[in-house]
Amino acid sequence: MEALIKKLVEAYGPSGDEAPVRSLIEEEIRGAVDRTWTDNLGNLVALREGPEPLLMLSAHMDEIGVVVTHIDEEGFLRLAPVGGVSPHLLVGQRLRFKEGFTGTVYHEKLKSLKELDWSKLYLDIGAVDGASAREKVGIGDAACLDQPFAVCGGRYLGKAMDDRIGCAVLVETARRLSRELPQAVAFVFSVQEEVGLRGATTAAYQLKPGYGLAVDVTRVGDTPKAPLSAVGLGRGPAVKVKDSSVITHPLVRKFMMETAEEKEIPFQLEVLERGGTDAGAIHLSREGVPTGALSIPCRYIHTPSEMVDAGDVRHAVELLTALCLKPWPRQKVLD
Amino acid sequence: MKELELSTLLTELSQAPGASGFEEEALEVAAGYLRPYVDRIERDPFGNLVAFKKGEAPEEGRKSLALVAHIDEIGAMVTKLEPGGFLRFTSVGGIDPRTLYSLPVIVHGKNRLRGVIGAKPPHLLSQKELEKETRLEDLFIDLGIPEEQVQQQVRVGDYITFDQAAQLLAGGSCLAGKALDNRAGVAALVVCARELERVRHQADLYLVATVQEEVGVRGAITAAYGLAPDAAVAVDVTHGEAPGISGGKAFALGSGPVIAMGPNIHPALLQQLKKLAKEYRIPHQLEAVAGPTSTDARAFQIARQGIPSALVSIPLRYMHSVVELLNLEDLLWTGRLLALLARHLEFNFAWEEEAPCT
Repeated sequence: MEALIKKLVEAYGPSGDEAPVRSLIEEEIRGAVDRTWTDNLGNLVALREGPEPLLMLSAHMDEIGVVVTHIDEEGFLRLAPVGGVSPHLLVGQRLRFKEGFTGTVYHEKLKSLKELDWSKLYLDIGAVDGASAREKVGIGDAACLDQPFAVCGGRYLGKAMDDRIGCAVLVETARRLSRELPQAVAFVFSVQEEVGLRGATTAAYQLKPGYGLAVDVTRVGDTPKAPLSAVGLGRGPAVKVKDSSVITHPLVRKFMMETAEEKEIPFQLEVLERGGTDAGAIHLSREGVPTGALSIPCRYIHTPSEMVDAGDVRHAVELLTALCLKPWPRQKVLD
Repeated sequence: MKELELSTLLTELSQAPGASGFEEEALEVAAGYLRPYVDRIERDPFGNLVAFKKGEAPEEGRKSLALVAHIDEIGAMVTKLEPGGFLRFTSVGGIDPRTLYSLPVIVHGKNRLRGVIGAKPPHLLSQKELEKETRLEDLFIDLGIPEEQVQQQVRVGDYITFDQAAQLLAGGSCLAGKALDNRAGVAALVVCARELERVRHQADLYLVATVQEEVGVRGAITAAYGLAPDAAVAVDVTHGEAPGISGGKAFALGSGPVIAMGPNIHPALLQQLKKLAKEYRIPHQLEAVAGPTSTDARAFQIARQGIPSALVSIPLRYMHSVVELLNLEDLLWTGRLLALLARHLEFNFAWEEEAPCT
């Protein structure tokens, strides 16, 4: 699975420009499902057919990045964020465009780093002047962080673990599923999560699932002076209770916890104070969809080096596999 | 409904625990009060409670009106078990850290556990700490039981609600308590249902108690899609006048319901509400809201192809505290106004052509 994770996190795919990630995943998952298609917004759906209720699993393909807003006569590029990017984290970082060329980020002269904002930041792609810069780049072109995957003890490091690790968990789960499933499963690789859960909104409307389950990363409280959170690396994937976008449906949460206990898979319970996932969009689709989320604990989210635990990833695959193989309740959820 | 009964209704609704996503008990109280007056009561897939009262118009072309009040209240949730058995928590909806220190709470663990919100006492605070605003991180919950027992009884994600009895204040016209935002609205639906008991109405009526409003009008989003009514009125609370709060942002207690106007509100629905209030001498006030209102009306207006929506609010002081305060008369008038609308609403929402300005 390491090779798959490496390929996925190193791929280029800021929100709205996910095509390279989509082709990669389509190739990896094609043999494990009945059919795949790409919808109007660019979500990739890989379907395992089966009886109702349809279980929609969602991991987002997009990553945070930047977009070029201006090219000056000296050949320097000005940037705007795509998703939640801090300008402070970009200083000295390399950024990569879809075509593969890179540049480095620095800032104008500042009295103090506190003054740093997007207007003071620029990208240098090595162009000698504006004209040669414009030969390579246009206004609106996006770039992602450029950082190789690394194995670091029992942990994985890389950019875009948020949420390519979720994509890897979905692909690996699809490969492990036996021929017959108790219900249909849609593996959705969504676009534009980082800019407002946009892909999952339309994917859920289109699929009309009986249940939804997002697989994404979550913040942890196990680093020095971290915000108060009971979630840590290496204690198993987290069953989400609440974040800013969703309160997990109590029956879905119970179903997830019971399944983990039956299979003796370690898990944690997660209450995330800030942040959301595709679950937020799925559960509000049409008349409402009972939805939960399985989270991979992750340190340093939205930095070039997001860190997850290999054991947590393995256990997430085991739990998700068990959840696909177990029949979900068919009756009305509430009366 | 006599005033005494009204205070009992509101007290029962107020005291039922029902933080967003955890509304079962409060919904049971509401269902109990609504049941005698309606044809059926159902829960939709998201958990909203829908009480249905059939209209008398012929089925073909019969219109429907939804009266919508959210039943969830603000609360908290356990985020971490600290050594010593203390609990850290986060907010469910917009709780105000200034109001929390020393409040009694219920932690809904394996059992219902009584606790209090603790913090460092003022004697031990440094000057700097005294000047700082209270943050959630400074507070914790103390259940008064040993750590091992806490670990057996409580998990991350357990709900916390405020443990506060509703009080009828001096004079008997005002009631103070937790969760009156928006159990007052739900109580107004009950008053409306009771008013309609002896009255014929043409349109189908949905009386809806929505869930998860305080975390982003979520119940209303799915209820609006699922019910697809021809018109909707949200019933919620707005700020009551008090020292330092007045002038268009706050409304007098005891002067009747507040009818909202603005882009969230369909003008034809607004006109009919105002006309009915005037005709039937229901005291009322007007509130201008510039954008989408922070109520279920914002979700109903943009559901499906768009649903003509309005908002009627009950003035209330100290919103999002455990001593939210309102006048029972306002509640009664609100219920009556809603019943009048259910009876007389004309479903003509066509936009009139107007001559261009010269």
